[in-house]
Amino acid sequence: MAIDSYRYVDFATRQIMKAWAARQEPGVIPFTPLAKPLRECTVALISTAGIARRDDRPFDQEGERRDPWWGDPTFRRIPLGTTERDIRVWHLHIDPHFGEEDLDVLLPMRRLAELASAGRIGRAASTHYSFMGYLLDTTELIEKTAPAIATSLHEEGVDAVVLVPV
Amino acid sequence: MQRHLEASGFATVTLSWMPALTRRVGVPRLAGISYPLSRPLGRPHDADGQRAVLEATLRLLDDAKGPDHYVELPFEWPETVAEVRNASKGVPPAPIAELLRRQPWLVPRLYTGRIRL
Repeated sequence: MAIDSYRYVDFATRQIMKAWAARQEPGVIPFTPLAKPLRECTVALISTAGIARRDDRPFDQEGERRDPWWGDPTFRRIPLGTTERDIRVWHLHIDPHFGEEDLDVLLPMRRLAELASAGRIGRAASTHYSFMGYLLDTTELIEKTAPAIATSLHEEGVDAVVLVPV
Repeated sequence: MQRHLEASGFATVTLSWMPALTRRVGVPRLAGISYPLSRPLGRPHDADGQRAVLEATLRLLDDAKGPDHYVELPFEWPETVAEVRNASKGVPPAPIAELLRRQPWLVPRLYTGRIRL
């Protein structure tokens, strides 16, 4: 692996990342082949940046400030067409100003729609998703948030998903 | 998350600026990119750059024939590490970073996985 995953992060973040990596056990990796060519697929995006529409509930930052070992494990729906003017980025481990200046650096819905217009994918899903990625304990994310997102993806006829950690 | 969705019948790919960590989870398709955190698709208002990164990521969906398909994307970030850090120097440290700075003896707790209070 030529890419240095720790290149841009500070010492404390590096420690947290390395400790987290050491606790992972890959086990058997699931694999679902693409059911049809990409140019016919409906594609959805998921960002871990803690993006919420301004008219939606913010991610709980006070809870994390009270207990720094905790992170808000819920998710928000981001309808296609939502722009940086409509959202806030609620994540205490990143610099939110880039995404609040141009949402496509986190959740590239406009770029996805352009690739659909160009015929590279079938279409962009009508709903995209965000959760907040600082979760040392992923129990609720896996047991509640992931199944809820999966149900929503099925209902909207999504074939493929691009995940973008931040 | 990616593993759960893949097991639920979706073809998934992750674009990660920290591919060493993402790969540790064991994911079906992974595109690594040497970009800084907080803007994984590229610089704000660089639509062409963002589109190229997204398109290269999507290509893994067509190309992967089995799990743990890993590709390093050839994009290079146009700033130095110092410039990247300087651009975000006003961002306060995360609560956990602040806590561990004050109470470094709590660091081992990160490794145990027993992080509930």
